[in-house]
Amino acid sequence: MKRIVEVTINGERHELALEPYRSLLDVLRNDVGLTGTKKGCDVGDCGACTVLLDGKPVNSCLVLGVEVGGSEILTIEGLQRGPERLHPLQDAFMRHGAAQCGFCTPGFLMMASALLDENPAPTEEEIRFGIAGNICRCTGYTKIVAAIQAAARDKAEGKA
Amino acid sequence: MSRVGSSIVGTSVKRTDVIGKVTGTARYAGDVKLAGMLHGKMKRSTIAHANIRRIDASRALALPGVKAVLTHENVPRVLHYGAPHPRSISVTCDQYILDRKVRYWGEGVAAVAATSEEIAEEALDLIEVEYEPLPAVFTVEAAQAPGAPQIHETAYAGNVLFKPVVVTRGDVAQGFAEADLVIEGEYETGRPTPAYMEPNVCVCQWDNTGKLTVWVSTQAAFMVRGILAEVLGLPLTRVRVLVDHMGGGFGAKQDLFQHEFLCALLAKETRHPVRMEYTRGETFVGGRSRHPCKIWLKQGFKRDGTIVAREARTVFDSGAYGSHGPGVTIVGTTALTSLYRCENVRLEGRCVYTNAPIAGAFRGYGVVQTYYALDIQMDEAAERLGMDPVELKLKNAVREGDMAPSDHPLVGHGLEDCIRRGAAEVGWAALRQRPREQAGTLRRGWGMGCEMHGSSAYPGIKEQGNAIVKMNEDGTAVLLTGAAGLGTGAHTALAQIVAEELGLAFDAVSVVHGDTDIVPWDIGAFASHTTFMVGRAAQMAAAEVKRQLLQRAGEQLEVAAEDLEVRDGVIAVRGVAGRRITVRECMGPKLGIPAANLVGNGTYTPTKSYSFAAHFVEVQVDIATGQIDVLQVIPVHEVGKVVHPIAAAGQIEGGIQQGIGHTLTEDYVIDPATGRSLNAGFVDYKMPLSLDMPPIRTILLETAPDPGGPYGAKGIGEDPIIAIGPAIANAVHDAIGVRFRHFPITPEQVLAALKEKAGAAA
Amino acid sequence: MRRFEYHEPASLDEASALLVRHGADASLLAGGTDLLVEIKEHLRWPQHVVNVKKIPGLAALEYDERNGLRFGALVTARAIETAAVVRARYAGLAQAARELGSIQVRHRATVVGNICRASPSADTLPPLIADGASVRIHGPAGGRTVALEDFFTGPGRTVLAPGELVTEVVVPPPAPRTGKHYIKHGRRKAMELATVGVAVALTLERDACRDIRIALGAVAPTPIRARAAEAALRGRALDGGTIAAAARTAMGECRPISNVRGSAEYRREMVGVLVARAIERAREGAG
Repeated sequence: MKRIVEVTINGERHELALEPYRSLLDVLRNDVGLTGTKKGCDVGDCGACTVLLDGKPVNSCLVLGVEVGGSEILTIEGLQRGPERLHPLQDAFMRHGAAQCGFCTPGFLMMASALLDENPAPTEEEIRFGIAGNICRCTGYTKIVAAIQAAARDKAEGKA
Repeated sequence: MSRVGSSIVGTSVKRTDVIGKVTGTARYAGDVKLAGMLHGKMKRSTIAHANIRRIDASRALALPGVKAVLTHENVPRVLHYGAPHPRSISVTCDQYILDRKVRYWGEGVAAVAATSEEIAEEALDLIEVEYEPLPAVFTVEAAQAPGAPQIHETAYAGNVLFKPVVVTRGDVAQGFAEADLVIEGEYETGRPTPAYMEPNVCVCQWDNTGKLTVWVSTQAAFMVRGILAEVLGLPLTRVRVLVDHMGGGFGAKQDLFQHEFLCALLAKETRHPVRMEYTRGETFVGGRSRHPCKIWLKQGFKRDGTIVAREARTVFDSGAYGSHGPGVTIVGTTALTSLYRCENVRLEGRCVYTNAPIAGAFRGYGVVQTYYALDIQMDEAAERLGMDPVELKLKNAVREGDMAPSDHPLVGHGLEDCIRRGAAEVGWAALRQRPREQAGTLRRGWGMGCEMHGSSAYPGIKEQGNAIVKMNEDGTAVLLTGAAGLGTGAHTALAQIVAEELGLAFDAVSVVHGDTDIVPWDIGAFASHTTFMVGRAAQMAAAEVKRQLLQRAGEQLEVAAEDLEVRDGVIAVRGVAGRRITVRECMGPKLGIPAANLVGNGTYTPTKSYSFAAHFVEVQVDIATGQIDVLQVIPVHEVGKVVHPIAAAGQIEGGIQQGIGHTLTEDYVIDPATGRSLNAGFVDYKMPLSLDMPPIRTILLETAPDPGGPYGAKGIGEDPIIAIGPAIANAVHDAIGVRFRHFPITPEQVLAALKEKAGAAA
Repeated sequence: MRRFEYHEPASLDEASALLVRHGADASLLAGGTDLLVEIKEHLRWPQHVVNVKKIPGLAALEYDERNGLRFGALVTARAIETAAVVRARYAGLAQAARELGSIQVRHRATVVGNICRASPSADTLPPLIADGASVRIHGPAGGRTVALEDFFTGPGRTVLAPGELVTEVVVPPPAPRTGKHYIKHGRRKAMELATVGVAVALTLERDACRDIRIALGAVAPTPIRARAAEAALRGRALDGGTIAAAARTAMGECRPISNVRGSAEYRREMVGVLVARAIERAREGAG
């Protein structure tokens, strides 16, 4: 039986009628039309579906849509600060070559943004620890780590 | 500020495809949602080798929401190439969409389309399949034993897939007779999988004219179009394949997979669009792995290190279907003619069917396996000859004029350059003399590994790169290419080349790709050839447009076209100040005369160029737990010309990640008794993650540009995964004195080997 | 995912009644990081999913010197990992929580869920057992408390009766000069299921070991205590010799199996190596 769920996604209120057995990931992709969040494994091992649920990074594949009533969700589509204003992480990922195939990129960006919110000046080790639940098969992580470091610097220096 | 003129090639311009990836707007095949779309799922076999005695879909069809079920009884029975490279010797024609027989655990036996994924999944359980079990074989030995069950009627002999490849140069017997030292070894490699992040997915839709449109994650859109058309009996005008972005393929997504045919057929049957997406587990079970391989290698050396003979036999395990088995076997085996020069060579390579999961194309294509053996044996030879391995490899490194595996003379001294540069970078000579740890349980070691790899699949596949460049009336240009955007940044590199050639700013070139109805034919993105081959075609197309452009400008400026040059979007008379117009002015409409239609076509049929690398690696081994950590990697790659430094380094770093994985932790394992998959997921298929990856200090060299590549550029995609494996194995030997001749090297094996060594010493 | 009916009970009694009514067809959902995976991978087929997140009073984490640490069924692994008091006084538990899955998983996964899933390799179980933790249980017949080391009866099996659910974990306060350590052994540095987990909690008196608990994960059908190894050290000085002997004893106490993650022999050998290492690190922590 469907349940009515009210939820705020990227600052916009939605009222959704959801089957209880649909994951938040499927709800975002299929019901809300936000396909930037990716399904890489669907069982919490790869982090491609990371979104912020009330500010906290979670695997949206391991959350039921019916659980998020009253919550605020931020997805990759909401990370950008304005039509021409990228989040410093988005800009750094582009400059540093941190996205290759790009399938893992939205998950990394959401995880990294949560990381920088919590710890604005992380060490390399702290960054690597923070993104340990996000799999990238293209980059060897080198450029992802560099991009997150650069974004942290940019934020600290008020460049972004 | 946009970069202009001669600085575009060689500069890390902003990759054009990345903005969509960082904002979540880039569209992948799985993001396509169509009105009325149904969801397809595949039922997979629970036995490795069997005839299907009975299959009954009636209960599944009765489930509300189920719209169609396909089994071998109601799909076309057409034998086809799983990897349809224009009828080349690289691939095998041995697959049906669904067969009466299953040949591996997890093979698709039926497919369902339903109104939701949940219903489709439930319906799978309602399909009844009765199997008549057949004896199954899971190793190449068992498959070649007398009385082994025959897996395919179409095989060359027994379960041997095709006539074994034999390569002979010089006189091996004579060579061994002259040798001061002969080393012989057996090597064995595991079953890593590409594990691209985007699971296989496609969406199929038929329109009222009987035309099929397919959105699919593939490296080879025109191959998908061709084989779908052939198997479904359609002209090419009735099949359109669309690929915008894709989430990695690493070679494996050259193949066609069962779901792609089934999705098209389900869509036809239900007259609804159908979407089929693999679960992560299915990307293992129904995907393609690297070929497990056994290599026997014997080499003869003179006391001074000169190699006088090399003999090898390789056996590649193709799994249940041929896929790229012949290509991988031929490329991997013939690679042993080279890397280290040797005049007397005898090689035999064979490929064998087993009831294991299907092996296919995967970055490194057979060479990962054979150079692992070769480079480890070189390290061993250095030890036994009392030489430094760097010295031994330098002495034997292939160089200008040596015959490459493709039977071409090599260009330049790329391998030597890589070895020398890397050795200098890490201070190799001093490292060899350093004091060794004695206390505690941690032991460090350094190793190096070498490789070379060809751009393009020549001579196995005679390839062709195509490009069309059109000028717009405002002086900007459009490149039309069929090359897939695998994630490598190829489209950016191609646009850089066009901008460079046309004398335009990088931003003035846009790229159209991914629609087989629009872009020129393309063979697919594989074999490290996109920048090399399609890049050259794009350069040729741009040059042709430039010729037309200067012709038009010459008429406008009333000078001969030959006297004109174009730079930074401005056409000027060479050596004459002031006589100039912008490209925009030249192109645009004036006084009622419409803009010009300038179109350039470029086709390039390459042979092959070779790129080179030497990887230097430091490892740490815990002798109490057997755990191996890679501490740092210094890869040196010679690539002719670097088009985009950041993207090139990114290819190398990613290849090293996969190579560290297959050497130490990654192995797709099946139950040796039943063939059942044991680790089809990211928990137990262990890829190195952020905390496992060491710092990588990449060095790019441009010392041996290839005359065939654009601006001398050669391939880079596959190279980095090849040298890292032997470098690690050699470093482990340096650390603990144990020589491993297989991968993956597990902690348990390290401990067992250390005990054996201690026992032997006692 | 398979279709199921969904319930959000507002009280423990309501939850308990749902579990009784639906029996084996019902599964409890707290963090969901195990349950949803098991449903998706067809390891479990509940017709009814009972989400306990709307039940008040299950989200607290408290510490006081007399009673120690208490945390409710909805407290996440991330909350345990980042709580200053847990890091200071229950270092083994903090370390185990830190190594459970990813940060994303830990923001959802609950420690009580980790307990009730009863996986032999679950990370938080060895340190909690070494810490002497117990669980409070609510059920149709009222409440009861069970020592955690007595809670498990086999892989995925516990002493919970139909309709019972764990509401809280209670961990005694550490004695002065107590040191704790947890070592998880796997092939990678993160996102692993332990091939061996070793937790040690020990208390020093002068130079001797006044008390010690050694708990092992992933080497028996349930997490186990290495009691003989503990007994060999209790009251003894901790030096290379006694530690090595105890580690060898622990190797004899475990009952590992072989699977794709590691052979029984290797796991047993690692128990020896890691018990010694964990004791040494715990001793350093005891000061």
